[in-house]
Amino acid sequence: MAKQKNYGMVIDTRVCVGCSACVYACKSENSVPEGYCRDWVVQETNGTFPKLRMENRSERCQHCANAPCVTYCPTGASHYAEDGTVQVNRSRCTGCKACIAACPYDARYVHPEGFVDKCSLCKHRTDQGLETACVSVCPTKSLHLVDLDEHDGKAQQLMDGKEVYRQKEHAGTNPSLYWISASNKPGA
Amino acid sequence: MSHGQDFSRRDFIKISSLFLAGSAAMSTQIGRTLDGSGNALAATGEDRVVHSFCEHCFWRCGIAAHVRDGKIYKITGSEHHPLSNGRLCPRGTGGIGQIYDPDRLAHPLIRERKGGTTTYRKASWDEAITLTAEKLYQIKEKYGPQAIAMLHHGYGYTFFKEMFKSFGVNKFAKPSYDFCCGPRHQGYILTYGHSAGTPEGIDIENSRYVIFFGTHYGENMHNTAVQEIAEGIRRGLKIVVFDPRFSTLAGKAEKWLPIKAGTDIAMMQALMHVLITENLYNKEFVEENTVGFNELWEEVKKMTPEKAATITDIPADDIRDIARNFARYAPAAAVHPGRRTQWYADGTQRVRAIAILNALVGNYKMPGGVVKYQKYKLSKPEAHPHPHFEKEIWSKYPLFTDVKPSNTIASHEVIQQTLQDEVKAWFVYGVNVPETVTLGRKTAIEAINKVEFLVAVDTLPMEVTGYADVVLPESTYLERYDDLDDGRPYRTPFVALRQPVVEPMFDSKPGNEIARMMAEKLDLHGNFSEDVETYLDKRLKKEGSSLEEVKKTGVLLGKPTDLYRKPGQKLKFKTPSGKIELASSKMKEAGFDAVPKFVAQDEAPNGYYRILTGRKPMLTFGRTANNRFLGDLPTAKENEIWVNPEIAAQHKLQHGEYVHLKNQAGVVSEFPIKVKVTERIRKDAVYMVHGFGHYFKKLNNAYGKGASHNELISKSEIDTTIGAVGFQNNFVTFIKEA
Amino acid sequence: MTSTTTEIISTKMNPGVIPHLHIWEWHIPLYLFLGGLAGGLLIITSIMIVLKRRFGIGPQDQGDGCPCLAVRIGSILSPAFLGIGMIFLFLDLAHKLYVWAFYTTIQPTSPMSAGSWILLAFFPLAVLQAMLVNKKFLRSLNIPIVSKLIDWTEDHLTIVALVNAHIGVGIGIYTGILLSFFSARPLWASSILGMLFLVSGISSAAALMLLFAPDREKPIYSMIDANAIWIELVVVGLFVLGGVTGPSNSSGAMMHLIAGDTQMAGMSYMLWFWGIFVALGLVVPLLLEFLEAAGVHIKFPQVAPVLVLIGGLVLRFLIVFAGQTYHTFM
Repeated sequence: MAKQKNYGMVIDTRVCVGCSACVYACKSENSVPEGYCRDWVVQETNGTFPKLRMENRSERCQHCANAPCVTYCPTGASHYAEDGTVQVNRSRCTGCKACIAACPYDARYVHPEGFVDKCSLCKHRTDQGLETACVSVCPTKSLHLVDLDEHDGKAQQLMDGKEVYRQKEHAGTNPSLYWISASNKPGA
Repeated sequence: MSHGQDFSRRDFIKISSLFLAGSAAMSTQIGRTLDGSGNALAATGEDRVVHSFCEHCFWRCGIAAHVRDGKIYKITGSEHHPLSNGRLCPRGTGGIGQIYDPDRLAHPLIRERKGGTTTYRKASWDEAITLTAEKLYQIKEKYGPQAIAMLHHGYGYTFFKEMFKSFGVNKFAKPSYDFCCGPRHQGYILTYGHSAGTPEGIDIENSRYVIFFGTHYGENMHNTAVQEIAEGIRRGLKIVVFDPRFSTLAGKAEKWLPIKAGTDIAMMQALMHVLITENLYNKEFVEENTVGFNELWEEVKKMTPEKAATITDIPADDIRDIARNFARYAPAAAVHPGRRTQWYADGTQRVRAIAILNALVGNYKMPGGVVKYQKYKLSKPEAHPHPHFEKEIWSKYPLFTDVKPSNTIASHEVIQQTLQDEVKAWFVYGVNVPETVTLGRKTAIEAINKVEFLVAVDTLPMEVTGYADVVLPESTYLERYDDLDDGRPYRTPFVALRQPVVEPMFDSKPGNEIARMMAEKLDLHGNFSEDVETYLDKRLKKEGSSLEEVKKTGVLLGKPTDLYRKPGQKLKFKTPSGKIELASSKMKEAGFDAVPKFVAQDEAPNGYYRILTGRKPMLTFGRTANNRFLGDLPTAKENEIWVNPEIAAQHKLQHGEYVHLKNQAGVVSEFPIKVKVTERIRKDAVYMVHGFGHYFKKLNNAYGKGASHNELISKSEIDTTIGAVGFQNNFVTFIKEA
Repeated sequence: MTSTTTEIISTKMNPGVIPHLHIWEWHIPLYLFLGGLAGGLLIITSIMIVLKRRFGIGPQDQGDGCPCLAVRIGSILSPAFLGIGMIFLFLDLAHKLYVWAFYTTIQPTSPMSAGSWILLAFFPLAVLQAMLVNKKFLRSLNIPIVSKLIDWTEDHLTIVALVNAHIGVGIGIYTGILLSFFSARPLWASSILGMLFLVSGISSAAALMLLFAPDREKPIYSMIDANAIWIELVVVGLFVLGGVTGPSNSSGAMMHLIAGDTQMAGMSYMLWFWGIFVALGLVVPLLLEFLEAAGVHIKFPQVAPVLVLIGGLVLRFLIVFAGQTYHTFM
């Protein structure tokens, strides 16, 4: 019996250039409607001229292990899938939008067809052993799909020796996206 | 047929929507079979994947186009193509927005005058081609073949070039030479005897220290270069960026130096000064492989770091630090030559200075240094016989091009020759002349008005099509075969195939067909007797492969390039001296400075700021301006004018406010532009991305978005060594909305 | 003074969250108001019934065993308002055809799931109570099933009323709990929001009953309303203080509401909150009712309860809007 995965991502912001290829690849792959996005790019610059610092991030739903959207969903449409991701069952979504209010990452949107949508970590691809659309296209290999349950696996290798953080950890959501900070020295 | 030619002025015509594709057939969203959880049911084998190469920029990365139910629903990077490695930039993914653009040209159009107004009318291909052939023939007979010029920008041009050569015409101009990479090409050739290449010959992923001057990779989203920079960073590459603006690349730099615009050569001379005075340069390499060291020293000895500090606004200590680090990490250290390198009148000398810096530390053909990628040695197709050409090169610039020319004249010279009545007919292939910088919009339109016959081959109703006599709709790159692409030297040499993913839409035709039809009408039989598939198959069979075979992966790979020199290996350079020319004999012979000199640029008038320009990663100027798919991102919808907070305060500008820009010649931008108040730019400059502010209403998506950078170029300077055109001595101030 | 700037460029464009949360408009505040009203009405009418039946306390009935007029009307209005409120809830749903999904599962951690079932559970007993208090008229219709139901309810009235009172509290309080579970929205994430909505619902319900009660019944509803308003003022004070003394998310959100210049229908939050809700919606009515109770003749006695109702409505709008316009939990 194949071991069940616990999918997450490790995102290396040192190399990300904020090009948005991930956004467009996702749009094509998942027929994301015009005017909406399942993932997005953030370019953050801090400091005052000429002492400036920058970090580029490709963000999306964090597929939290303690997801407020799942906690809050009144119909069970938002649920934990067996592969460690959070998915939305469109046939059970009433469009009440409680999950959108519940998400501290503002990762969701109301699809024009009425249900609430978000990054699905390309479950239709991962189920087939493929990587997500964003991970596959990224020209800088900033995005990595990992199995968080794998000891000494890819996630470990990517994060070893580097400054890594998670977003809004203090919200108690236990997110599955790990970020390699842009303040790491090159070659860390 | 009625065809008004007796109008004194070439009116700009808006193409009626009837002649465009229309929204009915257009949607990049196709219905996908989805399960209850909203997951697309995985490919069940009905998906078709076709490998080809992209046309969104000059990189020409390999793509995999995915088709379902006859529609391309996504484009990913081809895993077979060495430039993509399975990855793709955002523009490549946006191909679906180009092929399914509702504003696409759908029919051939002929301009005619009816009762005082000029309009376009739909024409059959036969009629349009016949007219084109007739007019070109007449003009050639009356004025000679040198009165016809082809401006081109797009890989499909090769068929037209061959056709024109057989016709006796050999005036070919590529605007990107003029204002983009001409200097980089020539600067390297004059120094090393070969071009910098695309991708640029710097072994980034193995380098420890790379210096960039103004190059903004990341926003300039060239696939392979960005992949290599990312890999380099993972391996510990340190990046240094000289740029008046804190670009994305500067955001990854160990050190960002906000250099004053226009002072690069002073900085480079100062770096050379430190390398030489502190004996940090590679003496052995320089003695053995270069000439002109003493001349170089004579020039740079005056440029101490202290002097350079006053010119460049960078502290002398920083200059010393960088030079020392550069030497410390050499030979695995390099200065990157960049891509768009024509900013002022000294672009070629500037690239030469970069090449010289690299030579001084002896990084030639060393890991992490300057390398020379190889092209696949593809056998040339049969040469078509052509009438004798009066000249091989039409450019008046002595150092226009050193290798067998693919272009014979600078595009601004075509404009000039038109204004001087030497050129009478233009064949424009994918060049949006009014918005493409060849001496600025005003001059471009003046020239357009003088052209007797203008043919525009394009996929979209770009502004130039509103001035044409004949508009020929070419199919997009996803719908056609083009000639084999062997033009990209890289680590693994390759030949790439462009093949149609879907059938041509509407009444568009592939360039190879259009060229063949023209050849037939012009009686150039025999030159294009075979159809394009036979032609491609023949060429590939010569390589021991076949069209059938290469169609499967889209590429034919060669042996990986042997990049590095062996110890004791003697180096040879295709220069007059056979060595790296720190002092260029060809420059000297042609009457120019043998060694790059620093020339001060114009200062801004009071209250005005130098306009700097660049790219956004998801756009390629005119090609993507109307692309709804790519435009569906808040950062892609418009450009902004970057203003330093102190300057914004002085002019009372708020972040997010819309203003008009006025340049030093009094030209005011047609459309307003959004102000971005940011710490990321010097006080003496402003920045706006090029390619916005389209004024052709038929570009429904692009019309009126952002402001046009091209509009604000009133002053151009010509680099008279090679004929490139600089336009960065233009300054703007802000006009607040009433 | 050192300062550093942060520049954030994001390509996110989803209108529901950019530039701020924007998912619930007028449907939800209106439902919250009607729900609170319905809950309050049910609480008051149920307790009045129990008091009368069990302890003989309360306004004189009409001599037929039916309680006073205000209770009769109130009992009918309660399910009516809740029904209308539920229509608004339904209209707010983006995926309306799937509304049945609420009722094929119970999600214990979801206040909205609990709420959807409470709303359902509300109706049977509330309707029975409404029927009972209007038994004279209904019996005269001579419909057997109706009469049977009335008889049953008559026999079990105390229990029915007590249960209804609890359900009323449930309805009143859950609307606040529903919002307060959203820790991603700092303004709503207050432990006292449920209490605030409950008390507001009671004060609004009492005000409404005051409006349609016959003159001799008015004093009791005036007393209930005045007390409810008084408690509500205390709870509002605690709500505000709790926010202001909390961590930056909470205090920022509270200041955004009580001192913010964000506009709602042309006026700032601050003006709405202090001027309309607190002053006109609570303090002034309290004063008027106090004066009235002290014997001072008030020319237009309807003013006070109408102001209370308006205040209750404004409170819901303010909370729902300000909770969305303030940034997400940082």
